[in-house]
Amino acid sequence: MLTLVGMNHRSAPLDLREQACFAEDDVPAALRRFRESTGAAEVVILATCNRVEILTRTTEARGLAGEICAFLSKDRGLDAGTIDQHVYVHEGLNAARHVFAVACGLDSMILGEPQILGQLKRAYAIAREHGSTGPVLDRLLQHALAAAKRVRTSTGISRHAVSVAYAAANLARTIFDDLHGRSALLLGAGKMTELAARHLASQGVSDLTITNRTYARAENLAASLGGTAVPWDDFTKELTRVDIVLTGTAAATPVLSKEQVRQALRGRRGRPLFIVDIAVPRDVEPAVHDLDGVYLYDVDDLQGIVDAGLAERRRAADEARRLLDVEVVVFDRWRQTFDLSPTIAALYEHLHQVGHEEIERYGRRLASLTPEQRAVVLDLTRSVIQKVLHTPIVSLKSAAERGDAGARAALYREIFGLVHREPPASDPAEGRDERAGPGPTHAIQGGKDD
Amino acid sequence: MARALLTVALALHVAGVALAAIGELRHRASLSRAGAFVLLSACFGELVALIARGLAANAFPLRTGPEYLLVLGWFVLTLHLDLWFRLRVRAAALVLPPVSGLMVLASYLFLAGESEALPLRTQGWFVFHTSIATAGVAALAVSFAMSLLFLVKERALKSKRSLRMLEMLPTLEALDRLGFQALLYGFPLLTLGIATGMVYSAEHHNRVWIWGIKEIFPVIAWAVFGGILWARFARGVRGRRSAILAIAGFAFALLTFVGMVR
Repeated sequence: MLTLVGMNHRSAPLDLREQACFAEDDVPAALRRFRESTGAAEVVILATCNRVEILTRTTEARGLAGEICAFLSKDRGLDAGTIDQHVYVHEGLNAARHVFAVACGLDSMILGEPQILGQLKRAYAIAREHGSTGPVLDRLLQHALAAAKRVRTSTGISRHAVSVAYAAANLARTIFDDLHGRSALLLGAGKMTELAARHLASQGVSDLTITNRTYARAENLAASLGGTAVPWDDFTKELTRVDIVLTGTAAATPVLSKEQVRQALRGRRGRPLFIVDIAVPRDVEPAVHDLDGVYLYDVDDLQGIVDAGLAERRRAADEARRLLDVEVVVFDRWRQTFDLSPTIAALYEHLHQVGHEEIERYGRRLASLTPEQRAVVLDLTRSVIQKVLHTPIVSLKSAAERGDAGARAALYREIFGLVHREPPASDPAEGRDERAGPGPTHAIQGGKDD
Repeated sequence: MARALLTVALALHVAGVALAAIGELRHRASLSRAGAFVLLSACFGELVALIARGLAANAFPLRTGPEYLLVLGWFVLTLHLDLWFRLRVRAAALVLPPVSGLMVLASYLFLAGESEALPLRTQGWFVFHTSIATAGVAALAVSFAMSLLFLVKERALKSKRSLRMLEMLPTLEALDRLGFQALLYGFPLLTLGIATGMVYSAEHHNRVWIWGIKEIFPVIAWAVFGGILWARFARGVRGRRSAILAIAGFAFALLTFVGMVR
């Protein structure tokens, strides 16, 4: 049975998530400790700044929720009661559905954020590398990662801006061909300006010029961002050169007038100028936006884009959930077929064993047969077994398609006295068909299939 | 035969325009791609129709206004497909295929009343003049499309509302650059077209200049495009003003055809 126990930004406060989190280097040892202490067949640990989740599979029908909580408590030194209050538990198909949703960013703090896909991929790679995954978690995670990529592409959930800095960079990308090597002038050296500038720099803007009324602060920020500081009185000269102006001073009145920008335009030879004003009160006279080739966006404009982006993400998330429902059904069908594979294998093994024993029992009477006649008898026995098995197995697989194969498989095991075994490590889709026999059947299989 | 081929090609052209436009506006890449391939088949069909018409008349099919329009429409569509497949400029699908489709449609309607067996005017200068001028106007059509898209994008940026439009269209810089590059090809061809037209006129009418629509409008268009290039090189003027002028210049270039089909 699949069990997922976790805590995320909604269920647990940051300090608790910090204590429960596993450093990437500690994960292999934690996986080993978990398997040793709980006997889980498979386990994956996903630990990011916003979530800690342990996904397990057991061969029994009982889940491991209690054991996972106890492990977290003991391993991370947390109070058991506190853990119980702040974790969520998903079992069976709900655990699979949750993994699909996480992979798609539908459970993330920022809806649709793409980093989680890489983090989940990494968590799976570590677990797989250390032998902690088996057929079911391999299948689930590979399916979830592939489905998440498809869903992200088709819904465009990650495309829309979710922060002011992101919106500003997106806008810059609609004006300029490529942000790599572009130049930006920063007016002000406050936290917000720095954050927005860092985001622009991460998008490729490499030529940063910083100015501030207090020159020392401009110099500090320039050193930190790898840019150049210029005195406040000289910044208008830069207006003719740069592609982007980012302003975030604490000035009570505008520091950049329409006239200043108009004069700068003369030296720009028609190149567009993108101005981002994240200051409140505003740093740039709104009339600057009326100038030809100048695009001024203030914090309200950017917030409007962020709101629209979030609305788009929510719409895309609804579509993504619908698409993921289909993927979960596909996974569930696979899992049901997988769960059936030991029963089907045991059925084959049992009947072919019976056939084998009967052939042995009649061995002396069959001794007078020519090799050709003996082959016909073996073929006949095999054919009868195949025909007897055909209808029950088709019926079992149909039940799996409908999602109620469990009870029927149990009934078959009871009728034929079969022993329940762990499903094979391979994908059932690649496994036996009805004509391939297990163990002893080779003794009675004729040459018909060769 | 040529007429039947042109009917099929025109039907494909209309279907391609619809598919490509829906694909672009609804962000459906599969529809856009299907539209591009239908337009590719329309382009091929129009070329075959043109060749069939030329073979039927045993003449280079650039003798009359409707034939110019047909060649121009085909040329514009070809340039669009080049932009689409090679440079991946998808948004031009909203402008160039409809514009070229209208040219082919107008040609189709005018050609209905025109016999294929027209008097031959296939002398060297005439063929050279018409081919060069048509290629020039086709390049200017690309400049027109890029300028139109530039204005739409600029408007979206200024209005701060049309986010979808911002995402759908190429960057402002790309639109400006592509429009300018098309102008760099189109302007010399237009200049050559006008010059060879004058040579032809001097040879056949014993006059270098005739005061007619098809003579006046190309010269006005040439002056407008020349002005855009001068302003760009000398003053660095680009962007909105340049785009508006390019649209006006193309309109004048198109008016030439009014003089031809009258």
